Amino acid sequence: MQLSIERRMVPHVPWALIFCILAICGLGVWNLASAARPPHASVWTSQALYMGIGLGVALMVCLVDYRWIQRMTVPIYVINILALIALRFIGHKAKGAESWFVLGPVRVQPAEFMKIGVILMLAKIYHDDFRPNQESYGLMRLWKPVLAVAVPAGLVLVQPDLGTAMMILLSSLTVILFGKVRWYLVAVMVAGILAAGVIIWNDYVREAPEPRFTVLKHHLKKHQSQRISGWLDPEADLRGSGYHAAQSKIAVGSGGMSGKGWREGTQTGLSFLPEQHTDFIFSVWAEEHGFLFCLVLLVLYGGLFSLALAVGFNARDRFGAFVAVGITAMIFWQVFENIGMVIGLLPVTGITLPLMSYGGSSIMSMMVSVGLLVNISMRRHMF
Amino acid sequence: MTPSALGKTTPPGRDLKRRFLWLGLAMVSGLLVLSLQLYRLQIIRGEEYAAKSVANFVKEVRLRADRGVIKDARGTILVDSRPSFDAFITPAFCTDCSKQVIPRLALLLGWDEEQRAKVEEQIRLGRRNAPFQAVPVRIDLTRDELDLINARRDILDGVEVVAVPHRNYRTETVLSHVLGYMNEITQEELERLNADGARYALGDYIGRRGLERYFEPRLRGVDGVRKEVVNARGQKIEELNEKLGENSVIPSEAGSNVVLSIDMRLQEEAERVFPGVAGAVVAIDVNTGFIRALVSRPGFDPNLLTGRVTPAQMAALTKDPLSPMINRVAAEHYSPGSTFKVVTQLAAFKSGLFRPETVINCPGGYKLGSRTWRCHKESGHGAMDARHALQYSCNTWFWKVADQIGLEPIAEMGKALGLGSPTGIGVLGEVPGIMPSPEYHDRLSPGGYTRGMALNSAVGQGDDNVTPLQLALVYAAIANGGTLYKPQLVQRIENLDGQVIDAFDPQVVRTLEINPAHRKSIIDALVAVVNDAGGTAYRQRLKDIVVAGKTGTAQVAALGAVRLKTHQMAYWERDHAWFASFAPADKPELAVVVLNEHGGHGGTDAAPTAMAVIQKYFDLKKQDETSPPPRSNQPYVLTLPPAPKLEDVMLTRGVPAAGIPNAAQH
Repeated sequence: MQLSIERRMVPHVPWALIFCILAICGLGVWNLASAARPPHASVWTSQALYMGIGLGVALMVCLVDYRWIQRMTVPIYVINILALIALRFIGHKAKGAESWFVLGPVRVQPAEFMKIGVILMLAKIYHDDFRPNQESYGLMRLWKPVLAVAVPAGLVLVQPDLGTAMMILLSSLTVILFGKVRWYLVAVMVAGILAAGVIIWNDYVREAPEPRFTVLKHHLKKHQSQRISGWLDPEADLRGSGYHAAQSKIAVGSGGMSGKGWREGTQTGLSFLPEQHTDFIFSVWAEEHGFLFCLVLLVLYGGLFSLALAVGFNARDRFGAFVAVGITAMIFWQVFENIGMVIGLLPVTGITLPLMSYGGSSIMSMMVSVGLLVNISMRRHMF
Repeated sequence: MTPSALGKTTPPGRDLKRRFLWLGLAMVSGLLVLSLQLYRLQIIRGEEYAAKSVANFVKEVRLRADRGVIKDARGTILVDSRPSFDAFITPAFCTDCSKQVIPRLALLLGWDEEQRAKVEEQIRLGRRNAPFQAVPVRIDLTRDELDLINARRDILDGVEVVAVPHRNYRTETVLSHVLGYMNEITQEELERLNADGARYALGDYIGRRGLERYFEPRLRGVDGVRKEVVNARGQKIEELNEKLGENSVIPSEAGSNVVLSIDMRLQEEAERVFPGVAGAVVAIDVNTGFIRALVSRPGFDPNLLTGRVTPAQMAALTKDPLSPMINRVAAEHYSPGSTFKVVTQLAAFKSGLFRPETVINCPGGYKLGSRTWRCHKESGHGAMDARHALQYSCNTWFWKVADQIGLEPIAEMGKALGLGSPTGIGVLGEVPGIMPSPEYHDRLSPGGYTRGMALNSAVGQGDDNVTPLQLALVYAAIANGGTLYKPQLVQRIENLDGQVIDAFDPQVVRTLEINPAHRKSIIDALVAVVNDAGGTAYRQRLKDIVVAGKTGTAQVAALGAVRLKTHQMAYWERDHAWFASFAPADKPELAVVVLNEHGGHGGTDAAPTAMAVIQKYFDLKKQDETSPPPRSNQPYVLTLPPAPKLEDVMLTRGVPAAGIPNAAQH
């Protein structure tokens, strides 16, 4: 392992990507300074501190040759798994889930780092398992990637942290699809999505007298079930789970074209949304800055995705390409799910908006990912 | 691979070109879906949502917890709360605040320009930090002002009048230093306390002194919250309120009540009989350390400080030459004068060089080096044993002791009895007093420690400084055989229903070994001071209670060549009069210390007060044995005449104070 930067790496530093990331970070801190009213007033300064530390971490990560990281993938993955298992025994319970390690003043959420571990592991599997003549993966050949995903996803799911488990599954699924699967598997998946749609329609939308036939509803916990119904019809139950969804939509909608102005948001000021500086941060942005600045933010994220995919496209080897795709997919799904839930397209899950939401672990894992992307980009012509 | 292979290889990503394109397209279309929904919400339905966001605010209304009351030992309520109508402005609901609402309000309430600017600034700050938190703009509206505001409510957006409990100090200036007062919390305190988990808001009142400060967390209770859906003008929307459900109210928890060890009847007696314009009286239970009465005069009116004290009134309080804000019982120290001699005598006995029978001849002075120290009796007391030396307060005896044993043993004894360090009462602010030692003088006096300093300290002059409370504890320790208690003012803490939450037990600071023979000699001397003809307090003795006591007169000004009669001296030049005592001498229960600042002589100006307090204490004890306890929670009604003022004392000095009951008329 050597920390070094060589002259020939410099032309390949992805400045545009770094610009997108820094721009989102800056907007994020600025937005937090508005969202965090007393008693969370000091949130934005800690966020800026996390970002500063995170940039340092990213720098560290991009100085290590990623081939070394590739060799260390299995230990990294195993350590992450062990951390998740350890969480069952010495974790800190908050809001009914064991998701945190408490180390003095610092609280670490290992699931955030697990995401990266899974992506590295998948990339390694696809790198090692390359057969030039047989590109598509059949069911039998998929056991390795599926196992590598299922173990951590299961561990996160039992915390219980449905949101993060979903993120792991969705980004892994993207990578697996990217690795090409046989057509019948695609068909099965499409059928599955259709079936889910039918089940939701049957359990939640269809008007039928009680007791009615339900496929899934009676297996879910009450709050999970309520989230789905709250998503489908937020205004039906103003004080319950739909309350968040409804108030969040009001916040976003009332922003209009140009927003109410920084620190002028009434919904934000009223602390309608208890999670407004974490999960619902986008509602603050949308309310205070309006449609045009929401588009600016989406364009920045779009730039981030395209440039990150370009890094994969130009990567030196399959490992680099798959890591870049995995990271991009991970960021994309978080952005999509978070904004989708804030604007009422998707059910409410506890997913943070990358680089905008308050939270040290989330920032750190984002910065490690960014470091990996820069790393892959810089070393694309090194042999 | 070698660099020569570079040209042949293409990055493997290129093989996956189509997949990258598909993936990129998928992501872009995902973002497009988000943008479309945003467009739908913000542009197409933007106005509808904007109207909704104005139409439904959820406002959190604080339900203030009732602050605990403060009662005396028998349950008489000394401090409680009365409703006061306060005007509040909620910045978020106050449209056109600085142009319309505040000028109208200023007109109704008769504010001047300065006050108006202050309120405007407050609202501006509130709008930025917590726009939905009501800011108090006027405390304690009068009936007329209340009617005026209620009548014009329609043009006063965002203004509301709320009945807020306001602290009511029923004893006025009596016990003011003990009870304390309250005023508005500062921004820094707010941040500090709320960081520790408290829930204060700007404009809240917080205990500032004495019990109000010390027991603030207990008295305060826990505020509750009621959520209300309101519109942009702050009016409730009933149909939406129902939707909030039962979780919308978190009830408040009332604060605890504090029960003092002070008996108000004894306190009243002490107030009534204490003739001084400034000074202190403290009566303490010698076997527990609980304080039974505590006078610090002059006092201040906490009702004034807890509310709308005007700058002029505040200035009058702080500039008053008598410093009414200082608690003279514990936060001010004085030269103890002859009352200190018990400490010197205990040190003398302990050293082994002097015994109660040791006789020293007083020729009227003591020669140290080239200087002769004059005893107060110029012809000399003659041969004195320890008992008579203390009884007649013969300085020569004590100077001889100091010369022989030095300052160190005296300082050690004083410190063992609690002098020179705070008593640990906690409730009251304290000064430690000074118990000088050779080391102290080496450090602080120019030229370091010399013998003369020991002589001065031995008779309670020089750098000796004690608080009346410390002196009371010294006498209590002698009375109870050597146990130094921590003084306490609060017996117990009760909840709203009168159930005891916390009961405070006597706390021993340390126990001293005092030889019974030594103690007997000292007590005999103290009894003789009061009960033998010729004792300095003989004229004040009580008929049926044997009091042991010691007078003291502490010089405050250097005496000129001509000795003046005390009533001819200007007030500020007069000596402090001390009397320290306990009773009954054979089985002590109560120690009383009286300090009459610039009062004159201990025997005439301090002892009568102590005697009256002791008499009253035993009268009350007898009375309570036969009559049933009173109903508790009766509000206290102040009937005391006002305390003497500086002008009165200056004019009437020399005329015997009228109406000192219970002092034996001999």
